[in-house]
Amino acid sequence: MMAKRLPTILPDLSFKEALEITKIYSVAGELKKDSGIIMNRPFRNPHHSITASSIIGGGKIPKPGEISLAHLGVLFLDELPEFNKKILELLREPLEDKTVTISRLNCSLTYPCNFMFVASMNPCPCGYYGMIEKQCTCSELAIKNYLGKISGPLLDRIDIHIEVKPVKYENLNNKNPEETSEVIRKRVNNARKIQQKRYENLKVYSNAELMPKLIEKYCKLDDESKKILNVAFEKLGLSARAYTKVLKVARTIADLEGKTNIEKEHIIEAIGYRSLDKKYGEKF
Amino acid sequence: MAIKFAKELSQYGLNIISGMAVGVDSYVHEGVIEANGSTIAVLPSGLKNVYPKENKKLFEKIIASNGLIISEYEDYFSATSESFLERNRIVSGLSIGILVIEGAYRSGTSVTAKLTIENNKKVFCIPSSLKNPKGYTPNNLIRKGGILVTCAEDIIEEYAELDIIKRQETDYYVKEEIVGIKPEYQEIYEMIEDEPIDINEILKKTQMSLEQVNYQLMMLELDGYIISLPGKNYRRK
Repeated sequence: MMAKRLPTILPDLSFKEALEITKIYSVAGELKKDSGIIMNRPFRNPHHSITASSIIGGGKIPKPGEISLAHLGVLFLDELPEFNKKILELLREPLEDKTVTISRLNCSLTYPCNFMFVASMNPCPCGYYGMIEKQCTCSELAIKNYLGKISGPLLDRIDIHIEVKPVKYENLNNKNPEETSEVIRKRVNNARKIQQKRYENLKVYSNAELMPKLIEKYCKLDDESKKILNVAFEKLGLSARAYTKVLKVARTIADLEGKTNIEKEHIIEAIGYRSLDKKYGEKF
Repeated sequence: MAIKFAKELSQYGLNIISGMAVGVDSYVHEGVIEANGSTIAVLPSGLKNVYPKENKKLFEKIIASNGLIISEYEDYFSATSESFLERNRIVSGLSIGILVIEGAYRSGTSVTAKLTIENNKKVFCIPSSLKNPKGYTPNNLIRKGGILVTCAEDIIEEYAELDIIKRQETDYYVKEEIVGIKPEYQEIYEMIEDEPIDINEILKKTQMSLEQVNYQLMMLELDGYIISLPGKNYRRK
């Protein structure tokens, strides 16, 4: 449910982006009759029985797959470990390159696929692993096999990992006012504006697209933050890819708060989003 | 729990023997090595075909710590369901007593305990909640006359004739560590015990916001005072 609400807090589409999405849907033959230009970011959540060619794109004359249909929107994979492992590994290059080239005998086509990858999963087959209130009944091997479906390299490409606790019954009807999507969206749009202004003359659109050289320039840290990051790397055993991801996420958190510099709170929060692989041991 | 007992017992100079399996066994070996004690691992497989494979690193760690690894099989023998039970026979035979930490109904642990009783050696058990399926064996053994223990000293008492004395230097080390905590993190640190506590419980007990608590927990973890566990649970290191 939470993932489905995600498009409501994503930044507004620019006209150029809207055209791009509409073009892809037109090529795929998914554009409904009489519907004009698509003005909403797409949200795709294919079932876990999906095949390789329908996620990447394919056919005699290759049609765009789910990853391209989610271009500039969200691709949500619910119950990630239930997907075929091979299919999950297929996502690796598209996630990195933001485009996918499909080669067939007839032709070779390149589709854009700059999507936000969102996935959800249980910690083990029974779902209770790590809960204090309830006992998990899975064997070590079962948990390992379950989590092992998500490979390290794939996990490494996911910027933010969050563990969520089950909602207690008494909280289900909680009427406490919470932040609405509108308010959040405003903040997101603001952060986007800050980024667009900062990268005005570069061919960069958002923090996620920063190249190593630019990261050095725009993600400067003070000495204390550097020290924290060093310790975190040693203790948590993060990869080189994770290093740039932490910096980019920290930059984004700072942007959301409207701060010009990355502070140590931002770095700590960003590191906190990367602890999943470490916590679950070598099971992934 | 396993780590705590392993550390304390090895501080008494006892050599801790276990089977290097996934779970409690591994924790025990790790604990002993951390406390600079000595440990023996008895494998259910050949020495060149370590079972389980994940523990290859632990295998080398034990050797590096001047520990001992025993196997009664040929080098490349792979573990079979019988060899686990045969392994337990050696574990029980080598020791002066065993400590049962967990074990489900009809588990390998219960076999080890049975063998130990047959050899007139002492069986110690850590009691566990009736709701914990892995608490069946220790609870059942206590019912049948196993010795209930709550701390390492309970075990030492049973061997009065051996004159076991605790090493002192490790105590020092522990005390020093706690002093190093920054005062602003003290409140959170004190809420976290050896038993895991989840983040919601911590939040209920404090006035701080989620962001602040998350920040402090991360700092405490990076400084090496606490460990974060799956499911947003935390415990002391």
